[in-house]
Amino acid sequence: MPPGPSQDEIRRQNLGALLRHVHVHGATSRAELTTALGLNRSTIGALTADLAGAGLVSEGAPKETGRAGRPSPVVRPESNRIHAYAYSIEVDRLRAARVGLGGVVLDRRELDRPRGLLVAEAAPLLAGAVKEMQQHVPADAVCVGTGVAVCGMVRRDDGLVRLAPTTGWVDEPIGAALSAELGIDAPITVGNVADVAAFAEHARGVAAGCDNVVYLYGDVGVGAGIIAGGRRVTGHGGYSGEVGHMKLVRDGERCECGSRGCWETQIGENGLLRNAGRPGAQGREALLAVFDAADRGDARAGAAVRQAGDWLGFGVANLVNIFNPEMVIFGGTMRDLYLAAAAQIRSRLNANALTACLEHVRLRTPKLGDDAALVGAAELAFERLLADPLDIG
Amino acid sequence: MPATPLLELRGIDKSFGPVQVLRDVAFAAHAGEVTALVGDNGAGKSTLVKCISGIHPTDAGEFVFDGRPATIHSPRDAAALGIEVVYQDLALCDNLDIVQNMFLGREKLNGIVLDEPTMEQMAAETLAGLSVRTVKSLRQHVSSLSGGQRQTVAIAKAVLWNSRLVVLDEPTAALGVAQTAQVLELVRRLADNGLAVVLISHNMNDVFAVSDRIAALYLGQMVAQVKTTDITHAQVVELITAGRSGGLGLTAEPGQGRNGTDGQPAGKTAGGDR
Repeated sequence: MPPGPSQDEIRRQNLGALLRHVHVHGATSRAELTTALGLNRSTIGALTADLAGAGLVSEGAPKETGRAGRPSPVVRPESNRIHAYAYSIEVDRLRAARVGLGGVVLDRRELDRPRGLLVAEAAPLLAGAVKEMQQHVPADAVCVGTGVAVCGMVRRDDGLVRLAPTTGWVDEPIGAALSAELGIDAPITVGNVADVAAFAEHARGVAAGCDNVVYLYGDVGVGAGIIAGGRRVTGHGGYSGEVGHMKLVRDGERCECGSRGCWETQIGENGLLRNAGRPGAQGREALLAVFDAADRGDARAGAAVRQAGDWLGFGVANLVNIFNPEMVIFGGTMRDLYLAAAAQIRSRLNANALTACLEHVRLRTPKLGDDAALVGAAELAFERLLADPLDIG
Repeated sequence: MPATPLLELRGIDKSFGPVQVLRDVAFAAHAGEVTALVGDNGAGKSTLVKCISGIHPTDAGEFVFDGRPATIHSPRDAAALGIEVVYQDLALCDNLDIVQNMFLGREKLNGIVLDEPTMEQMAAETLAGLSVRTVKSLRQHVSSLSGGQRQTVAIAKAVLWNSRLVVLDEPTAALGVAQTAQVLELVRRLADNGLAVVLISHNMNDVFAVSDRIAALYLGQMVAQVKTTDITHAQVVELITAGRSGGLGLTAEPGQGRNGTDGQPAGKTAGGDR
């Protein structure tokens, strides 16, 4: 029989659980923590003291509950002091942010990304943005890590971007390039943007409390972050969720991945702009202009949006049948498409999905909006701290 | 989802003189859900809402609120139950700021003076609870706000009073794409926060984007109330324009050579539009 966990391991686990609770739920009274974690009052008091000693949380004046009894002190995450850096590498822009414990975006920078910009060129730009932010960081602040969200396929073991068809990256070590640029040794965690956005919405967004979620994220291409049974579905190498490359049309339109008939050739930026009769245009603004034109009565734009909506419903019906999610979230450009063509999406989904899979599925847009990629990338960096809170620095 | 509706109407009749506007209308709104109320112009949507909010007395029929029979004789009765209505014109005062508008006529007092800090804090908490990030200052005049922001303030005003049922009359009419999107997300969030929401809209995208159930009125009769998962766009349009669609809606009138159904929602039908 294996030996039971040692005192030390139990304590580390409890510290992590308490810190995770205030990280996700924000300021919480000690009494509420006692109930939420199932630990007794003196244990919560001791754990809080340890975390406060390490500067991770602070204890403050109790909330007015209006009820009888001694009010319980409130435990808050030290959001201004404990932070992580988060990067989001998208097709048309690069973003960097300083995110505090508790998922608060404290500072942010945004840069345009010319299409075709390589990793060797992007890393100095991102590092520059971070160095700029570092000048405004309080002296006693502690950085616990760095996370990166990339719109591409990321190898789980080492964060290598294997293929990002829409940015043109193949086998690019973005994590290593950023470490070198920033001059830090600590590992940089890299994840796919749809995966980390799903992670963020699951932790503190619209999908909080949902264990089976499909988060569809559209940039130029379309990917999904999938949570099944409360766990992230990553696949063997970390590449799962490339739903934009589901083949829906045999010998259909050519896709940037090199194949034909992929779902994203119909619902992604290129397909929508092509069908709206604007093949030369590109970027989020051009896409929003199509939705706007459709709303104002432009027949061609309207038809293109309805067609894309129909295809979106078609693919979502397949995903609903395969994963039986309780929630499907439409993020990035998929949010705009969902809100502009919900009638087509719903109608196609209702007609194509199996009743048993369909009856409890909720269709939602993200609560965190565009911040989900940054907040999710920061979550990757916070994971190490939450696993072992007293081992920071 | 609770099985019993928060608000249930049965057998509502309403006439204006010789014109019968609502006949034997049944309607239900559930907490945590958006119920879309659709129908052509003159179908009786506004009259039904005015009966719910106590502006018009009904001729016949019963109200059940939260499982108990209720009587609504005036808007005050409706407000006491926690029913708020946001009308199309929003009823905001341009020359007052956001906080003043939200508390207009129901100001908080501290002794004999207005309790501005409390009102400002409550307004801020309400907007934060709805994840509203588009409004910069609570002390800016409503005249300086965009159409979408005004709608947001009007909705926030309706949910400030611990309301339990909010009726929104065409909240996205006259808004552009980006602002429509924000208002739709707000409507969804109200229901996800536990309120019962009734959304009146002519826009099928809005209806399908946020609703959990769709109730269709046709010439003063409630022809169908179905789950949004059980119906298609084309079927809703048929219900609005013809009062029936496949097995849904009105029983076929005798002599038309069609088999009538019992008028009950037929559940998931095989996608009548394709």
